[in-house]
Amino acid sequence: MLVSSSSRLISRRHLLGASVLGGLSVAILPRMAFAEGNGPIPIGTLTPLTGAGANYGGRMRDAVAGVVAAVNEQGGIIGRQIKLISEDDQTNPEAGVRAARKLIDVDRVAAIMGVWASAVTTAVAPLCWESGTALFCTSGADSITRLPHKGFIFRTEPGSELQAEQVTVFMLGEGARRLAYMGPQTPFTEPSIQRMTKVATAAGAEVASIIYESEKASYRSEVDKILASKPEFIFFGGYAPDTVVLVKDLYKAGYEGRVVGPSYVIDAEFLKTVPNEATEGAYVYYTATSNETGAVDRIKSILKIDQPDAYTCQTYDHANLALLAMAAAKEASGTAIRDNLRKISQGDGEKVGFASDGARLLEEGKKINYEGASGPCDFNEIGDVTSTVTSFNVVKGGELLPYK
Amino acid sequence: MVNYLIAMLVTVGIYAVLALGLNVTWGMAGIANLGLAGFMAVGAYTTALVTKTFGFSIAAGMCLAVFASAALGILVSVGTLRLRGDYLAIVTLGFAEIVRLIASNETWLTNGTDGIAGISGPWRGQLSPVQFNWVYLGVTAALLAVSLLVCQLLARAPYGRVLRAIRDDETLVSVAGKSTFRFKLQAMAIGAGIMGLGGAMYAHYISYISPDVFRSLISLYIFLALTVGGTGNNYGALFGSLVLIALLEGSRFVFATVPAINAVQLAAAREMLIGLGLLLVLRFAPEGLIPERPKIFTRAATDITPRN
Repeated sequence: MLVSSSSRLISRRHLLGASVLGGLSVAILPRMAFAEGNGPIPIGTLTPLTGAGANYGGRMRDAVAGVVAAVNEQGGIIGRQIKLISEDDQTNPEAGVRAARKLIDVDRVAAIMGVWASAVTTAVAPLCWESGTALFCTSGADSITRLPHKGFIFRTEPGSELQAEQVTVFMLGEGARRLAYMGPQTPFTEPSIQRMTKVATAAGAEVASIIYESEKASYRSEVDKILASKPEFIFFGGYAPDTVVLVKDLYKAGYEGRVVGPSYVIDAEFLKTVPNEATEGAYVYYTATSNETGAVDRIKSILKIDQPDAYTCQTYDHANLALLAMAAAKEASGTAIRDNLRKISQGDGEKVGFASDGARLLEEGKKINYEGASGPCDFNEIGDVTSTVTSFNVVKGGELLPYK
Repeated sequence: MVNYLIAMLVTVGIYAVLALGLNVTWGMAGIANLGLAGFMAVGAYTTALVTKTFGFSIAAGMCLAVFASAALGILVSVGTLRLRGDYLAIVTLGFAEIVRLIASNETWLTNGTDGIAGISGPWRGQLSPVQFNWVYLGVTAALLAVSLLVCQLLARAPYGRVLRAIRDDETLVSVAGKSTFRFKLQAMAIGAGIMGLGGAMYAHYISYISPDVFRSLISLYIFLALTVGGTGNNYGALFGSLVLIALLEGSRFVFATVPAINAVQLAAAREMLIGLGLLLVLRFAPEGLIPERPKIFTRAATDITPRN
């Protein structure tokens, strides 16, 4: 009796296993045809569509989709259409690696774009440089480009330590002598605080800092602790979801000093969520956004929004940079992107802000210099963008007004 | 494509090892242990640190990972095992979060949220990425086979019967003169050790670990795999892991053929699909796809006449 039952068990298990694998392979096979040859050029996005980064990932992905659609309408690049494959990294390195595997090994994309969380970028980076896939990220950790990435990583988020230094100089320039930093634990938190302290101490100012847990419903105890140091200027180092809570708690605690935060946190959406009283007088810093080449206008029309956030601008640039580098190389591969990107992103060529315009000039044999929505997009030898903090806005009555 | 399938099979193998560890604590001994991510993290960090900092071999690192997780399993249990059911679940969930927060904030030891990159893999660097994938599939298969063997021996031994008895009626077992606390402590140690092995396998395969890997998402996935496969059955742990990855990965391809939904909706739909899958299994096969005891066996059991 026992024997017969166990043999039935095994046969059912085999049947189930075979049907699962069979179903999977049937679903996969038809897509193989796209991968190589003269068909469409596959490129991929790996943005956070669920999890902590979901706030940004959807728009980031849509910006790339908009570029691809517009380029395809104008005939594609090097005579080929572009095929976009989008995967969700779930803001989780483990899930991100599985998704990247699929993009690299099944879809054979030339570039993976829009990777947001530093941990995900670092996790998928080895897969990219081992397989020769270009990796474009918006991650804040300065350690990413110090990986042995053989030139395959391009990071459009300006260096965090430098940003911290420039914001500190701004706060000192506004006459503050007691500064504070509040942010969640991220790869760039400690280095930012260190740089901030160094700059402030040299100018005879003091820095208090607190590193908080990012998914809390209230920051009252953190606020009380930081207010004990009587700060005159607080620097926000977090993201929108935690900073929304933090700003409200600071207001409730009666904080009357000034605050400053990055543009990817305090944006139009943020100002709609938080009551005007709490945000009045807040400063917002920007890293080189320019509309010199009309790139920002193009994003606005693609996404039908008024003020695209910094990450959306960066991913729009990822797509254009990758496509232009392939157009310059006349070849669709990650290696072609790596070897040709700097030829189209910097130098004294004609300034362009959209891939099809640039591709046309390249065909005419002209030199180009891509100037995107997130700034000039010039890269140094390790793949970091060379942009820095360029301007400050101030919030008045829930509106962002130019300040410096 | 082949490379992708191998990578997914390796993932199935790692998930299966984790599910086997969970099966010892939850499936056999009935200890509601939601701390899986924590034990996995301890295993992964242990091997990463000793192989990177002290130059230990990968095998030695993995052994240490098992011991470190098992030791922590005992440590956690001493204070908490007298709690029952939901209370223990909450405490173990808290334990996993504590491990993650320590990994995030004790930068001197764990490199904080930057994580540890460049963890060695067996012959990585000398092999092409595809070859390495094949080698690691072999390593995974071997380690999974060993784990499965240990768990099967445990399940079939009188020891396993005691664990199942504790799960079904703890009071009865203590009346029979067994120290249920000791048995549960040992089950936690064994289970945590196997979970630590799973973490170590992950670290040497992906080559990068960070606190974000060990969020509760992974605990949830493994619980799901075991529930779908069949709680209490070691083969269920294996099969459940295969089904889970097939669902997670297969949904990418299936949804991509539906033109009406965009990437954001697709991501949400995938998460819903996982939840729906669990609901359906719990509704129509509450004991999982491979139940602990086949139905035919239970019927036969009633026919057994006592031996003289």
